[in-house]
Amino acid sequence: MKNDIGIQIGPIRHKNPVFIASGICGYAEEYSPLVNLSRLGGVVTKTITMLPRKGNLPPRIHELPHGMLNSIGLENVGLDRYIAEKLPQLNLHPDIGVMVSVAAETEDEFIRLAEAFAAQDGFDGLELNLSCPNVAGEALDQGRNPQLVERITRIVKERLPKKSLWIKVTPNITDVGSVARAAEEGGADAIAAINTVIGIDFDLATGKTVFARGSAGYSGPAILPIALQKVWECAKAVSIPIVGIGGITTIDDARKFFLAGATAIQVGTALYADPGLPERIVDALEKNPEWVSARALPSVRAQ
Amino acid sequence: METKASDPCVFTPSNAGEFSAAVLANTQLSRRYYLLRLARPAGFVEPLAGQFVHVSVPSVDSGERFFLRRPFSIHDCTREFIDLVIVEVGAGTQALHRVQTGDRLDFYGPLGHAYPTLPGKRILAIGGGVGLAPLYFYGFRAPGGIGENYRLLYGARTKDDLFLDHVPLERSGVALSTDDGSYGFRGNVVQLAERELERESADAIFSCGPTVMMRAAQKLAEKRGIPHYASLENRMGCALGACRACVVPTNLGGPSPYRTVCHDGPVFDASVLVWDELPVP
Repeated sequence: MKNDIGIQIGPIRHKNPVFIASGICGYAEEYSPLVNLSRLGGVVTKTITMLPRKGNLPPRIHELPHGMLNSIGLENVGLDRYIAEKLPQLNLHPDIGVMVSVAAETEDEFIRLAEAFAAQDGFDGLELNLSCPNVAGEALDQGRNPQLVERITRIVKERLPKKSLWIKVTPNITDVGSVARAAEEGGADAIAAINTVIGIDFDLATGKTVFARGSAGYSGPAILPIALQKVWECAKAVSIPIVGIGGITTIDDARKFFLAGATAIQVGTALYADPGLPERIVDALEKNPEWVSARALPSVRAQ
Repeated sequence: METKASDPCVFTPSNAGEFSAAVLANTQLSRRYYLLRLARPAGFVEPLAGQFVHVSVPSVDSGERFFLRRPFSIHDCTREFIDLVIVEVGAGTQALHRVQTGDRLDFYGPLGHAYPTLPGKRILAIGGGVGLAPLYFYGFRAPGGIGENYRLLYGARTKDDLFLDHVPLERSGVALSTDDGSYGFRGNVVQLAERELERESADAIFSCGPTVMMRAAQKLAEKRGIPHYASLENRMGCALGACRACVVPTNLGGPSPYRTVCHDGPVFDASVLVWDELPVP
């Protein structure tokens, strides 16, 4: 028996609350041999920027006992090729929900990105990556500055009123609630929480950091309780939906995000080991729709 | 299949599938090497030499879990089984060493770009360490097999690392080298290749092994003006070309000079690689 577990986020109805997180599945077609993407609520495609980025010096990935560090550095094909080549490829599969992750260095670039996407179709909305730890300066600083988050959110939302706008927030901040409130004030349709946790590791043989840039983004099961706590904090701070991300490796992990106040979830790092996980979560939620509706936002807020 | 480092903007998904397979045998080949034989699952498409599978590492008794899969080149594949040669380099490969006949392993594949098929061409294959795997596989798929048109050179530190008891390498068309001279040619395998090319030239060089070895093979190929195809390894996330974790620097254009080992490789036209910047594990 399949129950309707569709959710509404802003102007968009998603058929279920299970997404693949940005950066994990590339531009989505890469995973098409292993994942039935049309079964999912959607995919969040790899962050794109105005101009192509070549990404960080390898190595870029480092496994740890309870998760992994990555330092990809937003390597991407850039806006023009995304619109010319990647979006049409995704549109060959009209039943795949698509959220496009974007990042920019300046407000002007966000305006240009938003205007470029306003002229497009075949996607549900944008997820603004205001929280990548693997690039110099701008992105993470934006995500730590509530005034800037509000302004960026507003200038994008004004240009894409019919699309969904998710703001992806960083856990590397003391008061995530203030950033979530700023995004809500700016007109965001959802808060996506969390991006990776800043971490570092050293190679004892060389005495140097594992990655050329030193710090990197930590993900995997180790960050689950951090992510749940940030979602819970965001849920108390705002009334718009929260999309919970961070450390989901089992169906039970996903359930906890709904209890913490999330409306939807994204699977990230776990996809590498277990490409079938998102579909299994969809199956489980369809059998147990009460897990999705378990979130009791008023009671969460009352705590 | 034509091998080239594809433009990352024109993406063709792999024809890989996800499988669970029974372990048929896990045989120690030498001190650090072993041969993992998996039952070939129904639906596993015919792999090409140079392609790999991405294997889940089972949790170990101590509770340690592994969040990344491990990529292994296919060493042999028949209707019944898939063979992988594995070298212990860390906790993950140690855990794989402990799997036993009858256990099940999850993997997906076959993945990546293979060595090119070059009908009628004389190929000199240069392997070191676990780099034997795809070259051995190619030898059995090549028209005429290992022999006049597909010479296989394999080098190791000492005779014990050659695992001659398990892999039939003492045959016509194969030449072996050991650094200490305990078997075959004394010296490294690229020195052996140089000598072989003086004896009889080749139309292409294939290599797979340590970066230092393949870099030397590229110098040799450049000196002789022979095309060279090298199979690289790297730590991988998705192994599907999505996550951009396993990239290597190339002299190719496009949005980024980097190409993925998993999807654009693992076999590259060696002339596109920036050899001085490749990691030397």
